[in-house]
Amino acid sequence: MNNLIEFLKQKFHLIVFGILQIISIILIYNTLNYPRFVISTATQSITGPINQMCNNVIKHFNLADENEYLMQQNLALLRQQKQNFLISDDTLMTAILTDTLNPNSFIRLYDYSYANVIYNTIHKRNNYLMIDKGADDGITTDMAIISAQGIVGVVSDVSLHFSTVISVLNPDSRISAKVLPANQLGTIVWNGDDPGMVEMEDIPEHMNINVGDTVYTSGYSNIFPDNVLVGTICKKEKKGMNSFLTLKVKLATDFNHINTVYVVRNLYKTEIDTLKNKMKNE
Amino acid sequence: MNNPVFSNIFRFVLFLLLQIFICNHIHLFGFINPNIYLLALLLLPFDIPRPVQYLIAFATGFIVDIFQMTFGIHASAALLIMFLRPYWVATLNIGKKKVEKMEVPIPGQKDLKWLVTYTSVLVLLHQILVTMLEVFSFYRFGYTMLGILVNTVFTTLLILCVQYIFMQEKKNI
Repeated sequence: MNNLIEFLKQKFHLIVFGILQIISIILIYNTLNYPRFVISTATQSITGPINQMCNNVIKHFNLADENEYLMQQNLALLRQQKQNFLISDDTLMTAILTDTLNPNSFIRLYDYSYANVIYNTIHKRNNYLMIDKGADDGITTDMAIISAQGIVGVVSDVSLHFSTVISVLNPDSRISAKVLPANQLGTIVWNGDDPGMVEMEDIPEHMNINVGDTVYTSGYSNIFPDNVLVGTICKKEKKGMNSFLTLKVKLATDFNHINTVYVVRNLYKTEIDTLKNKMKNE
Repeated sequence: MNNPVFSNIFRFVLFLLLQIFICNHIHLFGFINPNIYLLALLLLPFDIPRPVQYLIAFATGFIVDIFQMTFGIHASAALLIMFLRPYWVATLNIGKKKVEKMEVPIPGQKDLKWLVTYTSVLVLLHQILVTMLEVFSFYRFGYTMLGILVNTVFTTLLILCVQYIFMQEKKNI
């Protein structure tokens, strides 16, 4: 013990020297940018690859959470899009000037939630999807289903916790769409062979439509919101003797890899449907 | 003023003020920037306990750092020369038959040759450390080395001049 104390007494100045020198190095490192940059690049060239290797393994464990966050974020962004709103001030009574920046002057028309696809067919004649949200989550029939890439389908049947969706790849599905920039309306149907391709019918021959033009939903069905991507035109065809074109549209949505989808709810659907029914009755 | 504690404190304050208000603003030829405050460190009596010497050196360097916005560089370098000083003096005294009790290394007690070697090597070490920590690269290494050498010569000359002009009289005491 005495030896130890003697030793410490002898070497005490070394300890003080070391401590002070470390303090000064820490000070240098913390305040001077260039030495810090050099030191950190030098050390990162060693630690970087190791960290990356670890991260490559670890990141897979977080993918589910990450996906969840991304979905939440996408949902928030989707909900903000302009085509989901009506402008309430824009009436004959009030609208001389419309303040589009005032959030109170907007009425939300479309709202979104998301669901996971639990069953999906693409190679049958009538293709369906099944999602893991149902009546309990507020899903009703005739809601639109879209993915991050484009349109997917329309809800056909709802149970408590699940819903079936008629995908675009189903002869029963008819979706109102428009071609931009010609802004020509038409109907999207599927002829039953190629799961990557749909047809757009009822296009007048004289319209200036080119291969490569983009097809969006029109918003007139009140199921799909305005301007959801459908696909791009890859071929123009003329069927029979009438003066209408059929456009082959390459779908933007990859139906092979659909995992999560957005459910679109039209908040004024009953109101609009009532009006439409009246029109039919008369 | 004969009390060594007070004379040392006075010296430190004086040379720190000189360093901060005058020498920090000398930029002769763009890169000569003498570190006169080292004289106060070099004249520190050897019989002070070494941890205390280190603390003094660190504090002095740190004060200089604060005014040069180079936190830690002068502190580190001053600390290092304070650490190496006893070993360097021991090396210098190897040839001597009788190693006298360490006194303040000023003219009159030591000859010019001893003083020049003692001062220049420690100043050189200090200068190397300060410059290399500040530059922190080998880019234009020759230019950096030139700066170190010129600065060392200048600082050493300045320190010796101050010693010979203002501390000569201590011989008579």
